[in-house]
Amino acid sequence: MIRELALIDVFYLIAAMRWTLALTVIAFAGGAVVGLSVALLRVSPAAPLRWLAMLYVHAVQGTPLLAWLFVFFFGLSIVGITVSPWIAAAAAYSIYAGAFLGEIWRGCLQSIPRTQWEAGASLGLSFAEQLRHVIIPQAVRVAIPPTVGFLVQLIKNTSLAAVIGFVELTREGQLTTATTFRPFSVYLIVAALYFALCFPLTWWSRRLERRLHVAR
Amino acid sequence: MSLVDLRDVVKRYGPLTVLDGVSLSVDKGEIIAIIGRSGSGKSTLLRCVNGLEPIQGGAVTFAGTVVNDPATDLRKLRQQVGIVFQSFNLFPHLSVERNITLAPTVVKGMDRQAARELARTVLRKVGLEEKIDAYPDRLSGGQQQRVAIARSLAMSPQLMLFDEITSALDPELVGEVLKVLEEMARDGMTMMLVTHEMGFARKVASRVVFMHQGKVWEQGPAAETLAKPRTAELETFLSAVLH
Repeated sequence: MIRELALIDVFYLIAAMRWTLALTVIAFAGGAVVGLSVALLRVSPAAPLRWLAMLYVHAVQGTPLLAWLFVFFFGLSIVGITVSPWIAAAAAYSIYAGAFLGEIWRGCLQSIPRTQWEAGASLGLSFAEQLRHVIIPQAVRVAIPPTVGFLVQLIKNTSLAAVIGFVELTREGQLTTATTFRPFSVYLIVAALYFALCFPLTWWSRRLERRLHVAR
Repeated sequence: MSLVDLRDVVKRYGPLTVLDGVSLSVDKGEIIAIIGRSGSGKSTLLRCVNGLEPIQGGAVTFAGTVVNDPATDLRKLRQQVGIVFQSFNLFPHLSVERNITLAPTVVKGMDRQAARELARTVLRKVGLEEKIDAYPDRLSGGQQQRVAIARSLAMSPQLMLFDEITSALDPELVGEVLKVLEEMARDGMTMMLVTHEMGFARKVASRVVFMHQGKVWEQGPAAETLAKPRTAELETFLSAVLH
C-alpha cells in the first residue's frame, strides 16, 4: 500500500541511523585491534611475519567487503554454523577495516625516521619499548587525519550490512521508498543524514591536518 | 685487556665494501679521534662497536663481550656504550627531562623521582640544567646536542661514541659542544669520536686513527700523527681539511 511521505518517516530514518552508528563503532573497534596487529607485524624485524601481514592485507584489499559479509553470514550457515548477523558483521567489518587501517598505520609508523629507532636502540630499549615510547607516540600524530578519513569511508560502507538483514540507514531508506514510492525525496534525506555524520568528521580531520602541519 | 677490540672487521653493503679488515684496540681512558674522507668508513666503524651495524667478517669485542655474536644481548651492551649522533636524534615528543630519563626508567627500572634528579645531574654537566622542562624544538642545535650527550651520560656508560656530533651545527655553536667533550675527557671517559675538527683532535685526543678506503691507514699519538703524517694519503687529507 502506498502512502504519503510524512515527517514520521524522517524520524524513522533518523532512528535507523543508530544501527549505522553501532555498526561503525563495532567495525572501527574490531578494525583497530586487527589493524594495530597488522601494522606492528608489518614493521616487525621478522620477515615471515611481515609477509604474513602483507598477504592478509593484499587478500582483503583485493576482495569486496560484500563477499566477506556473505561468507560469514551465509557461508558459515551452510557448513552448519549459525551466526547472528551481529557476529557476522563484526567479523567481516573487522577483517575489512583491519586491512585498511593496518596499511594506513604501517605507513605512519614508517614515516618516523629510522634514526629515532636507532636512538632508542642505542639507549638499550627493546623493540617493543622503542615502539611504545618512541615510535607510536610520534606516529599517532601523523595517523589521526588518515584514520578519520577512513572512518568516514567506514560509515558509508556500513550500508552493505543491509544484505545480511540490518535495517540501518540505507535499508530503512529502501523500505520507506517501497511504501511511499518517493525515491528521490527519501534518498535525498538519506544522503543528507550520511552527510551530517561524515562532514563533521572530515572537517575535524582537515583541521587536525592543518594543525599538524603548523606544528612541524 | 683493551676495552674495545676490533679484529679484521669486514662490513659490506651489497657489492660495496665499507670496512675492509679493520683492526683497532682501545684501552680504558683513551680518547680516539677517527678522521678521514667521507665514505672512508669512519662512521660505520663507530656503529659496529655498539652493534648498530651487523658485520660480515671479523669480530668486535667490548669488555670481553663479542658484539657480533648473535647470542649477545645487545640491550645490555648498549647500556654501557653511549652514542651521540650527528643529527642529535632527540625524541621530539618528549621533554628534555623525559628524553634523559626514558632509558633509565624503562630499561633500568629507576623510579621517576630519582630519574629526575639524575637528569638534573647530567644536565648540569652539559650546562643546561635550566632547560629540564623544555622540548627539543625550543633548543638551539648546540643545546640539543648537549642534551643528547646528557641523555647518553645518564646511562653511565663505560664508553662514549661520537659520530660527527658537530657537523650539523652552526659554526658558532660548535665550541659549546666541544667544551662538554673536553670536560668528559678530563673526567676520564673513554671516547671514540669521528670528527672533522682537527684542532680539537690534536688538543684532546690521545690517539688519531686515519681511515682510508675502509682500512685503518695510519694511526698514532694525536699531535705527532697530525704534525708529521707518515703516509701520503694522510698528508693529502690534512692539507685538504686544514685549508
